[in-house]
Amino acid sequence: MLGYLARRFSLMIVTLFGISVIIFVLLRLLPGNIADILFDSAGLINPAEKQQIERELGLDRPIPVQYAAWIGGMIEGDLGYSYKTERPAIEEIAPRIPITAKLAALALAFSVLLGVPLGVVSAVRQNTALDYLLRVLSLSGLSMPAFWLGLLILMAFVAAFGTIPIYTDPPKSVWDELLLYSIPAAAVGFRSSALLMRLTRSAMLEVLRQDYIRTARSKGASERTVNYHHALRNAVLPLVTVIGIEAAFLIGGLIVTETVFNIPGVARFLVEAIRWRDYPVVQNLVMLIAVIVVVVNFIVDLLYAVLDPRIRYAN
Amino acid sequence: MHVDFEAGLARAGARIDGTWSNLRFFVSRHPLGAVGAVIMAVFVLAAIFAGAITTHDPLQTNASISLAPPSAQHWLGADFMGRDVFSRIVYGARISLAVGLGSTLLGCILGVALGLTSGYLGGWVDLVVQRVVDILQALPLLVLALVMAASLGPSLQNTIIAIAIPLIPYAARVVRSNTLTLREQPFVEAAKAVGMSELRIALRHVLPNTLAPLIVLATAQLGAAILTEASLSFLGLGIPEPHPSWGRMLSESAAEYVRTAPWLVIFPGVAISLTVFGTNLLGDALRDILDPRQRG
Amino acid sequence: MHRAFRRFVTAGALVVGVSVVASAFAGEPKPGGVLKMYHRENPGSASIHEEATYSTNVPFMPVFNNLVIYDQHVAQNSLQSIVPELATSWSLNDDKTRLTFKLRQGVKWHDGKPFTSKDVKCTWDMLMGKSSAKFRKNPRKNWYENVTEITTNGDYEATFNLKRPQPALLALLASGYSPVYPCHVSPAEMRSHPIGTGPFKFVEWKQNESIKLARNPDYWRKGRPYLDGIEFTVIPNRSTAILAFIAGRLDMTFPTEVTVPLLKDVKAQAPQAVCQMAPINVSTNIIINRDTPPFDNPQIRQALALTLDRKAFVDILSEGQADIGASMLPGPEGVWGMPKEMLQTISGYGPDVQKNRAEARSLMEQQGYGPDKHLNIKVSTRNLAVYRDPAVILIDQLKEIYIDADLDVVETGSWFAKIARKDYALGLNLTGNSVDDPDQNFYENYACGSERNYTQYCNKALEKQFDAQSMETDLEKRKKMVWEIDKQLQEDVARPIIFHGRNATCWQPYVKDITVMVNSSYNGYRYEDVWLDK
Repeated sequence: MLGYLARRFSLMIVTLFGISVIIFVLLRLLPGNIADILFDSAGLINPAEKQQIERELGLDRPIPVQYAAWIGGMIEGDLGYSYKTERPAIEEIAPRIPITAKLAALALAFSVLLGVPLGVVSAVRQNTALDYLLRVLSLSGLSMPAFWLGLLILMAFVAAFGTIPIYTDPPKSVWDELLLYSIPAAAVGFRSSALLMRLTRSAMLEVLRQDYIRTARSKGASERTVNYHHALRNAVLPLVTVIGIEAAFLIGGLIVTETVFNIPGVARFLVEAIRWRDYPVVQNLVMLIAVIVVVVNFIVDLLYAVLDPRIRYAN
Repeated sequence: MHVDFEAGLARAGARIDGTWSNLRFFVSRHPLGAVGAVIMAVFVLAAIFAGAITTHDPLQTNASISLAPPSAQHWLGADFMGRDVFSRIVYGARISLAVGLGSTLLGCILGVALGLTSGYLGGWVDLVVQRVVDILQALPLLVLALVMAASLGPSLQNTIIAIAIPLIPYAARVVRSNTLTLREQPFVEAAKAVGMSELRIALRHVLPNTLAPLIVLATAQLGAAILTEASLSFLGLGIPEPHPSWGRMLSESAAEYVRTAPWLVIFPGVAISLTVFGTNLLGDALRDILDPRQRG
Repeated sequence: MHRAFRRFVTAGALVVGVSVVASAFAGEPKPGGVLKMYHRENPGSASIHEEATYSTNVPFMPVFNNLVIYDQHVAQNSLQSIVPELATSWSLNDDKTRLTFKLRQGVKWHDGKPFTSKDVKCTWDMLMGKSSAKFRKNPRKNWYENVTEITTNGDYEATFNLKRPQPALLALLASGYSPVYPCHVSPAEMRSHPIGTGPFKFVEWKQNESIKLARNPDYWRKGRPYLDGIEFTVIPNRSTAILAFIAGRLDMTFPTEVTVPLLKDVKAQAPQAVCQMAPINVSTNIIINRDTPPFDNPQIRQALALTLDRKAFVDILSEGQADIGASMLPGPEGVWGMPKEMLQTISGYGPDVQKNRAEARSLMEQQGYGPDKHLNIKVSTRNLAVYRDPAVILIDQLKEIYIDADLDVVETGSWFAKIARKDYALGLNLTGNSVDDPDQNFYENYACGSERNYTQYCNKALEKQFDAQSMETDLEKRKKMVWEIDKQLQEDVARPIIFHGRNATCWQPYVKDITVMVNSSYNGYRYEDVWLDK
């Protein structure tokens, strides 16, 4: 187990290192840099002044030197300064993390609350009209762009209540916050809930066919107990899988949803920072996202190894 | 290589279509899959025959019908610049099809190449390729596509590339794991014994046998690619105006008329959802038929 | 005249059926309350001198004072509406080359340091590139080409020394773009944490989220400002922002951000809201690459000018709510626009579009183009709806004269670089004129070698006339000179102007004493007299 852990951990570090190189180089391939954008907003085209800005920000140094400076700083805990605001990048990024984290947690909670029960119901009522309906619903969930669903919810809200659930002020109470985030979270979480429902359903179906369920039934356990206790406990594995897969998708969905609902979180900030070619912010943000995805997957793998010993030995 | 690949496709395809009786069997056995197939057929036909189906030039502006609601002349209304929404949605199928197919194919071809090399050659090549795949997969598809699209600039071709690259690892994974098992199969050993070159073995024997899971994967990715294009265009980074991309139609200008002209928000979104829904239904059915191990 | 004009605006606004400013004059101002509005984007920086968009002016103008300013209650900016601010009076010497300001005493910067003539000198030395401290960018350097130096006499007198007389210099100094900066604060600090002498102090700016200002209790003007503070929430999506306004979560929209279709929505959903539609003095125009084929050919440029159906642009984009004119904003809101009769004598401005286009086609045919031989070009523009939408219409209209154009959408950041490289044929462009004065417009956009003269149109003879009008003190004479210059610019197809846009600003009825400027969208945001009747 310890060997497996060490191997997975070292692979994780290699992956993160690779991502840092790729994102760094990719950003420097972007047409125009912060100096261009600054000049663009002022409608200026004086090359000498532009070079002055590039020199000040160190953009005229060779790319490997810039990269070394970034990684070197990161090891010392210095993420550099935002080109745009000239403040430490960490101070720009940090306040946005809890917002997106709450949104993601709510979305995940929503998908579990909706996806797991519906998956169980769908499996228990396999091949009934209800099953078909739920399967079509879940497929439609996977087919709708999250931002479109968000727009539809906004439209419905305005039509019904004449008000709009978007972020204009920081929420004043936990209740406010929950109200504000739950709608975008539902828009994003709907997709995950669909996936979760499908996986729960197939896992349930497999488990329901197993011998020990038949044994439980024959021992006189009620249908309810069998379905929800024995079977569901064994469907935990797909849940773990989904969280692994969805960590990446959730962040993708949040990018557009934060834009629609005007939520000042990490994801919308990323789009804005790309627009400004604010390299220190973009590269650190992408690294943050990568670390989250990689670490979540690492934990998922570990859980797998704990939950299902066969995997450990196969590796 | 080209011929072999197509032959493989045809062989796999023969199992689902071909004769009428097969088709009837498919419909009765997989009614949802059949619905998906019909949706996809409508989508593809709309894309091909857009010129014949549409009633208006999708780029023609007309002040007098700005934001006109749906009517007999303009079935789905008109947008801010007086362009016919129905015609734009039909032409938009072309863009979605081009981006969906283009990036899925490109991503699959590159993924197959990587997966085959990695799985068949093994050793340090495998190790390096696996790391590249890990790296590509560790970033959310949209984040990677976002940075790629921003660096390449907004155009159809660049959008296809920006979406294809993040898709590479998925195909590479599937092909590699299949290759690993196939490599040990007797018929591969036999081919080696008669002196067939490694490349020939890989292309003639290994590749065709991984086609089934690959087709299942590609169908799922078609939907993902269409959704990603919509998101990119919605954020202003995908297909540029005046091309009628569905995501673009939902972007800025459409979002501005959520209240005054809701049809500008509803119909392009329905088009996206319905198409992706079609790919998902079809994908499910194909998975049942071609790759029963993954039945979900 | 001011009063007459105010009446005119009032009457005009009533005609379009919007309740008006007039009501704002009723009642005694009440102090207190925080004005909440949205911001259309996260601005580039807080340093007004370094930016060229009113995204920076609107939230940060309340932090500063100018030497002089356009009267914040007079809708039409003109030389006559300029009033003292940090200067208490000004005077010219006999040959009109020394403009001397007497400065207000006892004024303090927000950090407590006293304001003196040194700050005036520092600010303009920096603007003219003469000081060691440098702006990161300096978009209005050429406003002060005619200023040789700033001299001070004691702590409370500063003099602008000019090369030649320039009566309009005062018009530039009165703009929202001309605040006085403190000597003791670095340009970098001014970008993120501005220090001014103005009615409101900067509190905080959360990137992409909000900007907060609070009442300056030590403001030199006693009893002002009325408001306790101003808060801007950044909401880039315009429809979302308008929805939030309709739902009553905001007191005011971002100035000039309500388009014609959105205005209808506001009126229907929030009938109590006070809205005012006014020109923003931003022209939508075409920049032409005059150095490379095909538009190096004057005939083809002429054909381009003739094919434009300006009314169609205006009808599609704003349901007729925009003004057709030459490069100066047309009247009655604009001070310098030429009369309509004169405008219609310019080729391409005639009312008969079909006749114009027939003429354009024959010009194209002379150059060898026709129904069977189309000219293929690209129309470049920025990736923003206000640029893209008219570009799409332009492409549609170019079809009429055998030109097949593709839209080339350029990402922000590559746009000006591309224009500077001359890597374009036609560009769809927006030009904002911060001050309704020919000196600002002509020198900035049409003078040889000016950094913002993107097409590098250069006409030395015409430039002599720029100087002549600039020195002219008689208003009526100067107007006639300006009209002739403007007509020449259009006939040279220097930068064909398609239209001058109009947009609305809306606020809740309890917001009082807001005056929307009718010939500039850069100058009216001091907000020291605004109050809430709650």
